Formats: sequence, C-alpha cells, structure tokens
Amino acid sequence: MKLGLGRLRDVLKTGSGTTPSEGEKEQAEGQSKIEPEEARKTKIEGTKPETPNGNEEIIMELKKTGLEPKKEPSLPADRTGAEKTGLIFFPAFDWAISPTHPEREERLLYTRDQIFEEGLMDLPEIAEYKPRLAEYRDIARVHFCVPDIKAQATTPHLIAAGSCLVLGDALMKAEVKNAFALIRPPGHHAMTVAHGNRGFCNINNEAILVEYLRKKYGIRRIAIVDTDVHHGDGTQEIFYNDPDVLFISFHQDGRTLYPGSGFINELGGPKALGRTINIPLPPGTPDEGILYVLDSLVLPILKDFEPELVLNSAGQDNHYTDPLANMRFSAQGYAKLNEKLAPDMAVLEGGYAIQSALPYVNTGIILAMAGLDYSCVKEPDFKPGMFVQAARDRKTLEEVVAAQLENWKNRDRLVEAEVAKHGDFYRRKKQIFYDTDMIQEFQEETIRMCPDCQGYKTIDSHAHRGVDDTRIFGISVPIYACEKCQAEAREEYRKRLIHPGYEYVYLQDKKQDEYRAYNTRTKKETVY
Amino acid sequence: MLIGIDVGGTTTDAVLIRNGEVCSTAKVSTEPGNLLNSLVEALDAVSRDIPPEQLERVVFSTTVITNLIAEGKTDRVALVLIPGPGVNPASYTFPDSFCIKGAMDYRGREIDPLDEVEIRKTVGLIRESGFSRAAIISKFGQRNSSHELRVEEIFREDHPGCKLELGHKVSGKLNFPRRIATAMLASATRERYQEFVEKIKKALDERNIRAPVYILKADGGTLPVEKSIEFPVETIFSGPAASTVGALALTPEGQTSVIVDIGGTTTDLALILSGKPLLASKGAKLGGFLTHVRAFAVRSIAVGGDSVIRVKDLSLGTKQMTVGPDRAGPAYCMGGKETTPTDALKFLGLIEVGNPERASEAIKVTASELGKSETETASLIVDGVAQMITDAVNEMFFEWEQEPAYRVWEVLQEKKARPENVVGIGGGAKGLIAEIAKKLNANPVIPEYAEVGNAIGAAVARPTLTLNLHIDTEQKMYSVAEEGEIVSLSTTKFGNLNKVRLDEAEALAAELLRKRAEDFGISKYADEAEIVNSEVFNVVNGWYTSGKLFDVSMQIPAGLIPEWKRREKA
Ligand SMILES: [Zn+2]
Ligand SMILES: [Zn+2]
Ligand SMILES: [Zn+2]
Repeated sequence: MKLGLGRLRDVLKTGSGTTPSEGEKEQAEGQSKIEPEEARKTKIEGTKPETPNGNEEIIMELKKTGLEPKKEPSLPADRTGAEKTGLIFFPAFDWAISPTHPEREERLLYTRDQIFEEGLMDLPEIAEYKPRLAEYRDIARVHFCVPDIKAQATTPHLIAAGSCLVLGDALMKAEVKNAFALIRPPGHHAMTVAHGNRGFCNINNEAILVEYLRKKYGIRRIAIVDTDVHHGDGTQEIFYNDPDVLFISFHQDGRTLYPGSGFINELGGPKALGRTINIPLPPGTPDEGILYVLDSLVLPILKDFEPELVLNSAGQDNHYTDPLANMRFSAQGYAKLNEKLAPDMAVLEGGYAIQSALPYVNTGIILAMAGLDYSCVKEPDFKPGMFVQAARDRKTLEEVVAAQLENWKNRDRLVEAEVAKHGDFYRRKKQIFYDTDMIQEFQEETIRMCPDCQGYKTIDSHAHRGVDDTRIFGISVPIYACEKCQAEAREEYRKRLIHPGYEYVYLQDKKQDEYRAYNTRTKKETVY
Repeated sequence: MLIGIDVGGTTTDAVLIRNGEVCSTAKVSTEPGNLLNSLVEALDAVSRDIPPEQLERVVFSTTVITNLIAEGKTDRVALVLIPGPGVNPASYTFPDSFCIKGAMDYRGREIDPLDEVEIRKTVGLIRESGFSRAAIISKFGQRNSSHELRVEEIFREDHPGCKLELGHKVSGKLNFPRRIATAMLASATRERYQEFVEKIKKALDERNIRAPVYILKADGGTLPVEKSIEFPVETIFSGPAASTVGALALTPEGQTSVIVDIGGTTTDLALILSGKPLLASKGAKLGGFLTHVRAFAVRSIAVGGDSVIRVKDLSLGTKQMTVGPDRAGPAYCMGGKETTPTDALKFLGLIEVGNPERASEAIKVTASELGKSETETASLIVDGVAQMITDAVNEMFFEWEQEPAYRVWEVLQEKKARPENVVGIGGGAKGLIAEIAKKLNANPVIPEYAEVGNAIGAAVARPTLTLNLHIDTEQKMYSVAEEGEIVSLSTTKFGNLNKVRLDEAEALAAELLRKRAEDFGISKYADEAEIVNSEVFNVVNGWYTSGKLFDVSMQIPAGLIPEWKRREKA
C-alpha cells in the first residue's frame, strides 16, 4: 500500500467521499425546558484562612477570558512552570440537533454526573474556565459561511468554538500546562465552505482555534492529531495546502464508515505533501492497535515535525460500545493515548456511547492530562484482555505504518516533484456531501503556486439542496502569505464581485486579519 | 421579643429586639475555653429585666464546631468507602479509611456487588481497632443507597455499639470526596455538639426561658436547636453568616452591597446581590476538607485593624511597607507595642477611640523608618489596607462573573454587578469603610448598631431549606437528595410515566418541600420556596425515548423574619 510518486496523480483526483450518512433525520417527542432562574453563587469557599498567616489567601488566580482588543501578536508565555490542566465543561444541556439525535441534550449528562461525583473540579491540578462566545471574525478566519455566519454558527456553535479560544488563551498565557475542551457541538467534519451541517458539524472548532492562536500569538507550526473514529475530513480539507500544519488522523477504514475518506494516498496539496497523514484502521482494532500506531508512527513524526503546539481532535467513538462505529478502544486506552500523546490541548469531537463509554473515557482523559492516577478508571463490563488484535489486522497496520513513515521521510522530495508538474496554478475538483442537511456540493479549488509562500487559495463552490442552488466564490490569503499573493488575491476578489454567476463572494485575508462577504443581489458587503 | 446572640472569636454580642426595633445590646469578651459562659453572660445582659415569658425567639450563632475542628478535639471515625471505578481512592487524604468492593453507577445501577465476607472482616477490624464511630459512603450512594444500608446492617450485627453515619443521609449532591468529608466531620463532632446544646437548653431552663431556640447555619438560615444535632457541621461559619444577614437587615431592600467586617487580624467580606446574599457555589472548606455544607460566599483576608505594620529595606535603598498578616496585641494607640492600621486611622482623625498621642508616636517611628512625612505615612497605610480589601472585593465579583456555565442561556446571560454600598459591620476600623467605598465608587454605609450587626442578623434571620429532587422514569423511582430515600414513582400522582411533564415534576418537588418544611416546624415559610433550577433530559436507547430524567432544586432562601422592621434609609 505504499504510495509511490507515480500514483500521486490518483491522489490529486481523490475527492471527499459520498458514503452513507453518520446520522439520520429523526423525529420524536420530548421536550427540554430549562428555567432561566439565576442561581446566585460563586466558587469562593466560605472560609476563614486555615492558617493565621494565610497570606496566600490573598493571592488569586485570575482567569481572564474577556475579549481582547485587536493588536499585534503577543508572544506565548513560557509554560514550564504551569501546573494545572485547564478544563471547560460545556455540555450544552439546552441544545440538540433533534430530540433523539446522537447530538442531543443528554449526551454529556452522565459524564457530568461521573466527573462531578468524582470531584474532579475540586482537584488542585484542575482549573475550570467559563466558556465565552467566539466572535464572527474568528469564524470568518476559517470559513466561508453560506449565506452568512449567523446561519451556520448558531449560539451553541459560537460557545463551543469560544471555549476553545478561552483555553487557547490560558495556554498561551501559561496559566495552564495543558487543556481539555469538553464541549459540544463538535466540528471536525466542517470544511472551509460551510453550506450546512456535515457529520453533526457546522464550524470547525480546532481550525478556528489554530487560526486564532496563529494570529494572536504569532505561532506557526501546529500539529493536529485526530483521534475520532471518523476521518477528520473537515480539518484535513482546511489545512490541506498548509505545510505548517501537520494533520494526522487515525480512524476506522473509510470503506466501512462515514465520511468514506481518509485513505493513505491523501497526503496534502502539492506544497504540503506529507503534512497530511491518514491511518485507516481495520474495524475491531483494540487499544493495542491504536497504541501501536501511536508509538510507531504518530509520536516519531511529531518529534520530527517539532510543532509549537499539539492538538488532539479527541473523539470518543473508537470505544467498543459506540453505536455508530465498530472499534474496540477502552477508557484505559483513551487515557493512555492522552498520556503518551501529551497534547497541549484536547477538543472533544464525537462519541455517542453516552452511558457506557463517555463517563469513563472522560474521567480517564481528564486524569491522564492532569498527570493523575487513572489506573482505577474502567467501564463496568471491561475486563483486561477482552479484546485481542487479529494477526491479519496487525499486519495491515504494520504496512500502513511503514508506508506512511516512508512518505513522511520523503515529503520534501514529494513536494519538489509535484510542484514541478504544475504551472502558476494548481486546480482540483471535489464533491462534498452534507449528510445531515442533504446537500450536494461541487467545488473547484485553485492554489496559486507561488515560489515565495504557500500561495492563496480560491474556491468556486456550487451547492444543491433540493431545488435550491447556490454558487459562491471565496478567496483565502494565508496568514504567512507573501505581499504579491496578498495583492493578487485582493484584486481577484474585486474582479469576482461583478461576476454574474455568484450569489456570494468572500475574501479571507488572514495576513491582514480582514474578512469580507459580498452579497451580489443586495450589493451589500459585510466586513468582519 | 427576640434575642440574637453571636458567639464570636473575640467578643460575644447580643441584642434584644422589641416591636421590630433594637431595644438593648451587649458585648462581652469571649472566653475561648468556655463559650457557654460567654453566651449565657451576653444573654443575661440583654434579658436581665425582661420577664422570660415575653421572649418569643432566641437565636444564636456559635463557633463551637469550627473550634472543635480547628483544635482537633473531634472523635475518631472509621471511614468505610465504596468507591467503585474512577479516581484511585489511594489518592484521598482522609484518615482511617477502609475501602471495600462494590459499585454503583451514575443512574444508581449496581456495577459490582458487595463482598459480604470482606465487609465482615472490615467491620471486625474496625471494632478491634477501637472505633466507636463509622461513616459509610458509597460513590453514587445518593442514587442507590442499598450498599450503604447493607453495610449498616452488618455493623449492627457485628459491632452493635458503633455510631453510624451514612453518606446518602448527609448530602445527596454529586461529589463523593465532599460527601466523605462531610459525613466524617458530622460524625466526629456530633456528640460534643450535642453536649453543648444540652448545656444551652439547661441554662435557658434555669432562666425559665421557654421560647423556641434556634441556631444559625452557614447559609444564613435558622434551624431549631434540637434539629441541629442531626446536622452539626451546618453550624460552622455561622458568625460571618450572622454579619451578612445583619447587613441585609440594616440596608435598604434590593440593593447590591459588599459587607466588610474588619476585625483585629482578618477582614471578612460577603456580597449581597440585588438584595440576596450570595451563596458559595460549592460547599464550604472545613478543617482542610472540602465539604457539602452550604455557606455564604465569604472571603477572609489576612488584614485587620491590629495587623503589624513593618518597613523592610530592599536592595538599592528602596523601602517597602508591609501589612500583617500577624498581630502583636492591640494597636499602639490602644496600649499595644507595634504600629497598626488603627494607629494610622487615629492619627488621621478617622476614628474616635484610641490615644492620639500614642498614635502620633507610632506613626512617627514608622515614618522615620520609611523616610516620609508622618501624614504621608499614615495616608499610605490607610490607602494600602483599603486597596488590599478593595482588590479582594473586585476578585469576589470577578469570580462570581466567571462561574462555569453549562447551558447556552447561562453563557448568554452577562453577569455584571458593582456594589452600590460598602457596608461596615462589626466594631473594627470604621474609618476604612469610606476609603474602600471611594475606591469602589460606592456609598459608604455604617448602619446604626453596626457593631452588633451580627447579633441582629442572628435575631432576625428566617429559616432556610433546600430540596433537590431527582426523578428517573425509566427506573420508576425518585429520590430527594436531602433525605436519601429512594421512592417508587407508584407512590406519586404521575399517570403515564412516559408523559411526565416538567411542571408535574416541579409540583412534586413543591409538595415534598412543603412536607419537609412541616418536619422542620417551619411550615409558615414554605410559601417563600423558589425553584433554583429545573431540568429534564430524555433517556434515549437506540433511536427511542425510553424514559426521562428530571432534576428540580428548590430552596427557601436566606431572608428576614417578618417581625423585623427594615430600615429604608442607608
Ligand atoms: Zn480521526
Ligand atoms: Zn466521530
Ligand atoms: Zn506568495
């Protein structure tokens, strides 16, 4: 399965899959009402100082989560002295896609019961933070939202993304050593163009975090490890041409599961080949197999890449009881994975075994990230050794690992060879299916093959939803683009405004941190 | 007539209230070894000429439990823990723990059965080790108490004399380690507390006082003294609670105030937000353990009127002035040995008490060490102390604003509050209130009777009560956290369990609260009950709703008895 240079042509043709949907439209009765009575309370303990000279009582940790004014990047603080694990638990108890959809109010209810009963929020190693709403410009930094941001990023989405930003700030200010955003709704299936909900996702929380941190703190090299059972196709698409973002995803083989992508020949755009690493896993892979992939492939590549930040796009649907997939990962496996991977931040993605897995998996991950003993965390029915990897599956994994190590080693040569094949522009056509909203999208993506930077990107997107038909054009200037690309891209935006075929035209100038959306019908431009 | 007595660390204060007005007050110094004497002395001082049959109510607050724990004068308790999967129980710091097999999950379903042989062995070991008290706490025991109850039975058989405390009876809230601590402390203090209550009752009997007697809890509510024996740890920190209720009684209704009680070495802060005293979101910390005890959000900082002022030489010839945290006796102007904030206040003419010459003397010494003028030095001290207190107030507001939120509407609701009043309560350092108020851009308020505000608070506080109802229609049961019993839903008026509505769950909660109020002898306040939180979740199996989970929290919040005539001027 090793991917030779000759097969690269095929890679470039591979689009995102159109395999069966992960969720189905549901209708059911049921209500969820929350009384907005305000419970007056604070976390301050009603105590006298324990010791007469309790001077430390006065010294407090301030949790700054407010919106920051726009300014030049501040440098990330040195985190060597930080001791705590930052945690935002945002279960969105008053939000669901529909009452019996897997993404419903109850999803993190038993997780709350477990982590509260364990007293995890009281541990001196844990600092709990309050969520906030992400701003529209934080969303615009990543997405072209159709028709507008408000339509795609509803309040719960803004809070989930905002929670990641709160923790990102805490991390960059060295208030915490690492962080876990235990939040919903998830985001890793959301791509650059957002026409609707795909795989329960509208906006991509990790991507929004990455672009926010790069803009605000001037960091550049980031690794995202997607440990959800589904291929993180949205995150992959967003960073496909970005050589500074290493995207590694392991997931149940796309031939057997939504979204049907994530094969080893999806390696990245011409200038970023080898910076996307996919590891399809045979159905039924237990802890042993996943930890093998981690040890033999993920960790060595991470070490080599030397990222400034490692994110875990942390789905919990690899669990052996998950109703949507067929893997055999356990709570112990998840805890060990986070201990070994030691991500700077983990962001919850999927995971729908809300009773049998999530309470235990989340307890395990929180303890592991806080550096605490997780040896007693286990599912009620779990017995060590109950899942053993089949020899054949082990062999498949060994082959994938060997092929990807080879690709990684050769990444610079792969880029060189591929870039030589293209002129000023590199184009690819894609089809994208939105399972939740039943949208079929056709895209043409163009990358400027710039000798001085990764080049700007344009997307011509055409979406069909029933009888509705929408066509948009978006231009994206990378944060570290050269001035020539920036100028060219801005000129392209001006030209497209008068093009009759589009309903909306977008400019995403990350270098300038300026975002524009133009409605060709009303001739109104919104600047974020 | 009403009597309120606050037995504090240094003084015991008492008031007598007649027709809603303060009639007389008393202040005696607290004998650390004999709180009862101090209490009785203060009681006699205010009730001397009053015929006992005219007294309608006596309420006191006391540090007795706090002291017992601080001084380590508690009884040994064996902890029988049933932790199940999760955090490694070896990481707990509780003394005398015995972990046994068995586990419940978050819905109260048994994961692992008990091991009877192991329990008998453990009980035997506890008996042989000489424990006469034990607390039995199971993780998720509030969702299913059968493990705790079975272990209790075995204790009754194998170690009959042992006094037992069960986790689910102590608190039904989520948080196993806090339930362990709360159960342990309740067991460890109950008998001594009971002795204290007996003595009080005896003293009142001797004076022919037949009025009902209440004790103030940390959440500002009163509890009949007989009933309080069941909940000894709830009486901790009733001093700060008394001051807060006192401030509530002495300020106009509905305002936002910060209550500043400046003592000798510490300053206690509490908040009243739009007329409601702010509760700590979690329970109080006691003897180094986090508990489930409901308490006002009180912050104590280590600075007070008697804190020692020192000047330190830093490198490069710069000097630094520090405040406290220790005390070396009273202020210099009150006959002490060291310069204190009280001396600075006296020097600047901001307080009446104290010897002006001695205050000048003290400030002169500090000023020469600091190399500044005397007025400048005194101002620096007052400003510095006021700033420390102001910073702590701002942090309290900030923490309240930054409370975690678990629902969309909670995140959307911008919490913003600024104090309208800075209310000085207690006797100490009145001159500072104006400085703090200036920094907070609020009105300084020193109410009439501020120096016995705590005793007034005790006298006019009303009862509080909470009720947390959990309903699981799939398992056909409900439980009330405060009572610990698991009750079948067939005993309720619910018809079709699949169609229970939230308003029906709330009605059940209201009915149960009314009953509970009756048990506590406080039916008259049941109408004050409010719903704090109310939520319903569908339990979905596959793609079908198989049941519903309801959680309804109600409370009778802290407040004032109707007999009190509130001041409308601040
Ligand atoms: Zn994945
Ligand atoms: Zn997933
Ligand atoms: Zn360029």
